[in-house]
Amino acid sequence: MSKKEIDMLSVLQSKFEGTSVQVRPEQLGKAEVIADASTHRDVLKAMLEADEKTAVIAITGIDLGATIGVFYHIRTSETGIITIKVEVPKEEPQIKTITDLMPGATFDEMEVNDLLGVVFEGNPSLGRLVLPDNWPDGVYPLRKDAKLDNLQFKPTPPSEPEPAGNENIVKVIVGPQHPALLEPEKFVLKVEGEIVKDVEPRIGYVHRGIEKATESRTYLQDVYLVERICGICNACHASCFVETVEKILKTEVPPRAKYIRTVLLELNRLHSHLLTLGHAGLEIGFETLFQYFWRDREPIMDITEIISGNRVISSGMTVGGVRRDINEADIPKIKGRLTDLKKKLPFYKNVYEDEPSIKMRMKNVGTLKREDALKLCIVGPTARGSGVDIDVRKDEPYEAYGEIPFKLITYNEGDTWARMNVRMDEVEESINIIEYALDNLPAGPFRVRVPRVVIAGEAVSRVEAPRGELFYYLKSNGTAYPERVKVRTPTFANIPAFLATAIGSSIADVPPNFVSLDPCFSCTDR
Amino acid sequence: MLDFWLFFRVLVFPGFTFILFLTLFCDWVERKIEARMQSRVGPAIAGPAGILQPLADFIKLLTKEEIIPRDAKKNVFRIAPLVAFSVMVFAICFLPIDGSSAISSSGFVGDLIVVMALVTVANFLLFMSGWASANPYGDIGAARVLTQFLGYDIPLFLLALTPAFLAGSLTISIIAANQYLPFIILAPWGFVLFIVALQAELEKDPFDIPHADSEVVGGLETEYCGGKLAFLHLTRDVQIVLGAALVVELFLGGPYGPVFFGLPAFWYSLWFVLKLLVVVMITEYVTCLFARMRIDQVLTANWRVLLPLSVLSLVLTVAMATYVYPMVV
Amino acid sequence: MSKKVKKSHVSPMVKEVFHRIFMKPATCKYPFVKAEVPPDFRGKQVFDINLCVSCGLCSRDCPAKAIEMVEVEGKRRPLFHLDQCIFCYQCAESCPRNAIKSSVIFELASTDKSSLVVKPEPSHKTTDGA
Repeated sequence: MSKKEIDMLSVLQSKFEGTSVQVRPEQLGKAEVIADASTHRDVLKAMLEADEKTAVIAITGIDLGATIGVFYHIRTSETGIITIKVEVPKEEPQIKTITDLMPGATFDEMEVNDLLGVVFEGNPSLGRLVLPDNWPDGVYPLRKDAKLDNLQFKPTPPSEPEPAGNENIVKVIVGPQHPALLEPEKFVLKVEGEIVKDVEPRIGYVHRGIEKATESRTYLQDVYLVERICGICNACHASCFVETVEKILKTEVPPRAKYIRTVLLELNRLHSHLLTLGHAGLEIGFETLFQYFWRDREPIMDITEIISGNRVISSGMTVGGVRRDINEADIPKIKGRLTDLKKKLPFYKNVYEDEPSIKMRMKNVGTLKREDALKLCIVGPTARGSGVDIDVRKDEPYEAYGEIPFKLITYNEGDTWARMNVRMDEVEESINIIEYALDNLPAGPFRVRVPRVVIAGEAVSRVEAPRGELFYYLKSNGTAYPERVKVRTPTFANIPAFLATAIGSSIADVPPNFVSLDPCFSCTDR
Repeated sequence: MLDFWLFFRVLVFPGFTFILFLTLFCDWVERKIEARMQSRVGPAIAGPAGILQPLADFIKLLTKEEIIPRDAKKNVFRIAPLVAFSVMVFAICFLPIDGSSAISSSGFVGDLIVVMALVTVANFLLFMSGWASANPYGDIGAARVLTQFLGYDIPLFLLALTPAFLAGSLTISIIAANQYLPFIILAPWGFVLFIVALQAELEKDPFDIPHADSEVVGGLETEYCGGKLAFLHLTRDVQIVLGAALVVELFLGGPYGPVFFGLPAFWYSLWFVLKLLVVVMITEYVTCLFARMRIDQVLTANWRVLLPLSVLSLVLTVAMATYVYPMVV
Repeated sequence: MSKKVKKSHVSPMVKEVFHRIFMKPATCKYPFVKAEVPPDFRGKQVFDINLCVSCGLCSRDCPAKAIEMVEVEGKRRPLFHLDQCIFCYQCAESCPRNAIKSSVIFELASTDKSSLVVKPEPSHKTTDGA
């Protein structure tokens, strides 16, 4: 633990000495704090006073039998996760909200309310988040005693009429099907003239209940299931999941496997960034740039195919290592393709920095100030474009990132242009990381065998997915099936950024603004 | 005998049928050039090198079901695309293609103004087809079309006066015939600015906001399907041919060029088509270079930049023509 | 803004787009040209019945429940439902005798669902991926 970390724990220990709050270091990642429904806000306030960069990563709801556990996973000073554990009785699950202290926790609270039925008093926007509007009341899927067999769906409620007095406001509905969106979600923009006054999001169109599905499959099968939460960051989901299992089992992953995992993760990042940079061009009408970027994305998929046998979903991770080794004979071919891509990067960098029409459409559009980014708990390139220097690869190095040198890219402007340039620079860094990893691949085994039945325990882990910080919480109960898997994806945390930047902007700025936060709704809805 | 010849010229060559096939051919050239600039192949399967692809697209749309929205203004919805198409084709008939135009062999005084006015009427009919759709995306798209072409018509017309001044006449056939030195050399600033204004009239990047599909889905075409959509697409393609043909007539010396053997009409048509393809390629190249501008940036570019520059271009041409060129040329 | 005003800062696209007209397109003309795949691509399964010991581990471990154990000549053998399969090859890893191998066949689209199975052929014959 870093020095700042220990300070936080000693602050908490001294403040809550003799109260019902217990601070337990060395648990669940970094530390856990046992509180109850009346003291959790005080703990959070104490943490906020000690460090301004405190942010909520996720709120896990878990059915513990007679009670429902509400676990607040808080990120402090970028290097530690402190979990505040609160339990509420199942018959009356009520707890005070924390959205006045941390506005970024709104979606997390809504999700626990939706899936487990916990009522957060004081949260202004409780309502359906991921479940459909006609889901029957009183059925909470993530509870262990939920009966999901013969559901009686409610008739779909009619759309609400426009309240009187707002004749100037036009509702422009973006989605669920819209050419600007890759995946279906609904955003109702309330527009007056050309200025957006309000945005109402409705997510959950791609909700497949994956967290519930993991509980009825073995750990080995779950690796493939969570890999398919998202098509592009599939290796990140798989590696985060296997890392939590390995933490519970205390497995020592061989170094060669760590390097190969790093290569697969960086290939995901390259694929995703090239896709977004091209897609951003398409949103602003720059079809030529879109075609060029996607032409240069093909070698990345070819490399993934050589290493893992499939162009997109690599299925390379398993508990205890990786499934396939990298053939030494393939490495020159891989490096050749990467070198060709690297030669084209100066041209693309020049375009994103100097091209007049891109600057016209992207500069000063969707500006997110640094304080707002911190308050709303934004992650990933969206935050790094506003000057917040968080990156899990640097803050809490995992796999082989601790041994590979690379730069952390930040820009200070905070607008769409800055966010796209962060991604542009990260492409070069990713290529460097992959080349370093391939040059310094350690010898040895690439896999160790692990037992199929996992002892009881809990673990958290984080991975820097292309869109930001991906977080997994796993609780095992001594059988071959997990007890609870909680996934917090980066786009889920970043949607409040879009809501904040869209309000007050012109309607023609909404597509580039939107695509610059790189939304992936399959991840958001799980 | 005279009647048969007139009908032949208007309906077959260089009239309607020729223009139709020229439009489909130019569409193919445009798509192939755009594809090559984007490292792609473009149409490749329908016919040799994909040359039948535009015809195949047209016929495919004609075979689809026609759906008219319940709240649309039915008569306007049905008729506006067809009338817009015919007005555009009518405008092309004034341009000398094989040495003389389809309708009248030497044109009449002021037919440049008539052609520009017909372009405006056709664009207005396109606006009405979107406005009659009873769809919010159609309304926004149609409003953007109106704003854009009404604004850019003014510099376009001023810039069209530049070659008129140099040739001393408002008749297109005379402007085309009097170019012993093509006007692109005598007034290159006029040519460049005309291409820019033309990009806006033709709604191509960077001015293609009326059919920006990430914002307005289909623009004014959103509710159209079947044969009417086929004619809307054809209208856009004919508009491109008309714009390019105007450039050829005004700045590039019209259909006139060296005649080697045989019929002059054949060689004139050939030179016309070749020059037309050059202009189409230039506009497509400019399209591929830029992203789309926002509507407020489009309007700023027109009223604050293009309009003053076109006035300046006219003044400059007059000055050069009066003082400099008589001494040099 | 018109192109003329920004001449001082010429866009890098100007040269690149022009040069691209004369360069070879990046399209590969599949299906007229065969697509190249690496030899260990995860395509259609190849099952060798002579190596199978009927343990059923492939069926138990399959994440997509795409393997059904059927009776062939008195023994239980796996039948692969390719319309459910996600081609993860966990079956090949779980098999203790290496009876399941991958092939490079990926052109599996069909209008007939009954053709999307890999049946265990009776012994003395191995199924190939045809």
